[in-house]
Amino acid sequence: MELTSAIPGRLETINTFKDDGGSVAAVFPIHYPRALLRAFDILPVEVWGPPGVDPSQGASQLQPYICSLVHNMLAFLKTGGLKITDYLIVPHTCDSLQGFGSILIDFVSPRQPVIPIYIPRGRRDSDVDFFAAEFAAIYTRLQEITSRSPSDEEIMGCILREEQADMLLAKLHKQRDGLPFSDLQYYRFIRTREYLPAENFSQLAQETLSQAGESQRNSGIPIILSGIVPEPMSLFETITDLGGMVVADDLAGCGRRLYPTGKSEEPFQRMAESIIHAPPDPTRGNSLQERLDHLLNLQNISGAKGVVFYNIKFCEPELFDLPILRKGLREAGVPSIPIEVDVNDPFSQQTITRLEAFLETIE
Amino acid sequence: MKTIKKMRYNWEASVLGLMFQLNQKQKAKRRVKSGRNWKSEYLTPPLDIANKSKMLVARHILRGRHANERGKVAWVTSGAPAEFLKALGFYILYPENHAAICGTARVAEEISSEAENAGYSRDLCSYARTDIGSVLSGKTPIKTIPKPDILLVCTNICQTVLHWYRVLAHHFDVPLILIDAPFIYTEASDHSIEFIKRQIEEAIPLAEKIAGKSLDPQKFAEVINLSRDASMLWMQILDRCQHRPAPISAFDQFIQMAPIVEMRGEVETVDFYAEMLHEIDQRIAQGVGAVKNEKKRLLWDNLPIWYRLRYLAEFLGQHGIVIATSTYTNAWGELADLYDPEKPLESAARTYIYPMLNRGAGDKLAKMKRMIEDFHLDGVILHSDRSCKPYSIGQMDQRDRIIKDLEIPALLLEADHNDPRSYSEEQTTNRLESFVEGLGF
Ligand code: SF4
Ligand code: SF4
Repeated sequence: MELTSAIPGRLETINTFKDDGGSVAAVFPIHYPRALLRAFDILPVEVWGPPGVDPSQGASQLQPYICSLVHNMLAFLKTGGLKITDYLIVPHTCDSLQGFGSILIDFVSPRQPVIPIYIPRGRRDSDVDFFAAEFAAIYTRLQEITSRSPSDEEIMGCILREEQADMLLAKLHKQRDGLPFSDLQYYRFIRTREYLPAENFSQLAQETLSQAGESQRNSGIPIILSGIVPEPMSLFETITDLGGMVVADDLAGCGRRLYPTGKSEEPFQRMAESIIHAPPDPTRGNSLQERLDHLLNLQNISGAKGVVFYNIKFCEPELFDLPILRKGLREAGVPSIPIEVDVNDPFSQQTITRLEAFLETIE
Repeated sequence: MKTIKKMRYNWEASVLGLMFQLNQKQKAKRRVKSGRNWKSEYLTPPLDIANKSKMLVARHILRGRHANERGKVAWVTSGAPAEFLKALGFYILYPENHAAICGTARVAEEISSEAENAGYSRDLCSYARTDIGSVLSGKTPIKTIPKPDILLVCTNICQTVLHWYRVLAHHFDVPLILIDAPFIYTEASDHSIEFIKRQIEEAIPLAEKIAGKSLDPQKFAEVINLSRDASMLWMQILDRCQHRPAPISAFDQFIQMAPIVEMRGEVETVDFYAEMLHEIDQRIAQGVGAVKNEKKRLLWDNLPIWYRLRYLAEFLGQHGIVIATSTYTNAWGELADLYDPEKPLESAARTYIYPMLNRGAGDKLAKMKRMIEDFHLDGVILHSDRSCKPYSIGQMDQRDRIIKDLEIPALLLEADHNDPRSYSEEQTTNRLESFVEGLGF
């Protein structure tokens, strides 16, 4: 299907949005209040690295034992990759992103205002209340910068639009089997949620879902992909070439962001509830048992025969959980394999061989 | 049976503790008399009080051996507001401290390999790996450590501790109390302080349930008072190193900080630091410095390299260099003023959001600059600690700014606080040698 080639890219989307009078925020991983930014006519465009930049540009400020994602973010910023953006939003995802935010604020001092967001690490009422208060503080900051004061109704309108997009995203995940996409096309498509305005994404998602039918995908060995981000995206081609097929994911940028709808009528509270009750994520402090249950549930629903833990080197949030998750899966009869990558490096032959051997054993 | 256990406990914790103390005292006396055992030409022998701190730590460890039989045990992160647990009578164990003991005893590599064999990556914090390795294998240089009934984690030093304690919670199947401390990029917001206060409030009933008793407000205030007093004394001790020659070095501080981390909120800890301060004042009065021929003074940033303390102290000492202060040891004293026994929860929330590690890299730079001025320092060693990312990120800018703004040398020294496999003696020596040359003797 040609739909993916018709989708506007990041730059085109940014230019169109700006031509219409809006501004753009570069948003670093993982969780943030999309609707709040949109209420100020700011389009969030996510920055997951990206791979392929010259990482040496970040090396003068970051030690080599910091993950390649953070290295690339800094390099991308310093080489002008984000000059088109008007704000830099830095969620407090991990120690490395904390340090990245701090370096930006204290040493890099970019032209754009840097807005950090603290992500609470629990699912308690106090976490929801804190998060809502954090959003209120960001509202005040944006109010000062933009001189706009969107009303509760306007924010709620934006929330409903994002909720609609999230609901359609969840449907796309559920019905992925019936979509006329290869793994690579599918992930290219759903990752447009990282930069398309919610309304545009929803429209495309609806069109795509209307074409969903019986399973249209080539059969392959079904696997679950877990990790932070599927970069470099050539990963999917490799999996396909080796006879695998991703039937579900537990990726921070994808499956862990299938946000449920918030319940509260108060906008900040509602956004907080939605993020806090998303699928388990180590960067939001969810327990290992919750993560394990979630993976087993995914496996149960999708029929996956194994799990590939696709980790970025030096990523502590993922690495700490790995042994217990793998053990729990093993005890449930689900094999798994850890693969460690640097987002700048092409797949090594050794990695391909390991992946191939894994797929053969679970076939 | 109970009586036998009690007797054994008293025997180990009191009698053995006392015997240990006497033995240490006698050894020290013999050392002074004969001048034996203290081999350094360049360094002054340790403080007399050093034996007492060993004894305090040893007694705490001995108590720990029977802590599971005698009451409830909490495992707590070093920056956590543990005063309410102390007031409830929990035996408190700091896994970071235990890991550091493994580091100084040079068994951290062997113990953390146990974690690595179980799948824990070598890229994870080496304290966490040591602790998890110890939990999985039972290996420890202190014979045994008590199992936790509850875990208390506070994210005011890093997020790593939460990942680590989630593993412990799963392993031991015990409740994990989280005190999440929002990071301060510029200044602490009211809602962040309120968040911490509320979490402590909500944690107390759970801790009471496990302890099987209610928190006595008077006892709570008393523990906070003791924590504050010990922290204030500790800060005074560190500040005494502004004197030239510095009466103790950061290497001494690294060793003597064990009670302030492990035994905050105890009378003995306050007494210990009062005595230590007294001995330090005597050294100052006599003009005795930690380094016999002090010529240059440095700042140390980040955790110590536990397994090479003596080597580094000797190497620098032979060049007449003292590390007069460190950002790390300061972290246990700098917030002393914020404790308020009259408002235990509010003050705890403020105290525990402000540790240096919970503030931005620019804030740490400003602090280092103040220390350089106050302690009359000639240079800085920034330990770039491979497996402690939160402390290390920002050091490259900090080093550059110190060199540029203050025109003093600053060295980024690559190593790891607990894992000797990430340390090269040859490389360290080469780098230190050229750094020393740059200090301009
Ligand atoms: S890859 Fe891991 S360590 Fe790196 S920014 Fe993402 S969560 Fe943090
Ligand atoms: S990462 Fe650093 S601050 Fe955190 S526990 Fe390890 S050594 Fe301590």
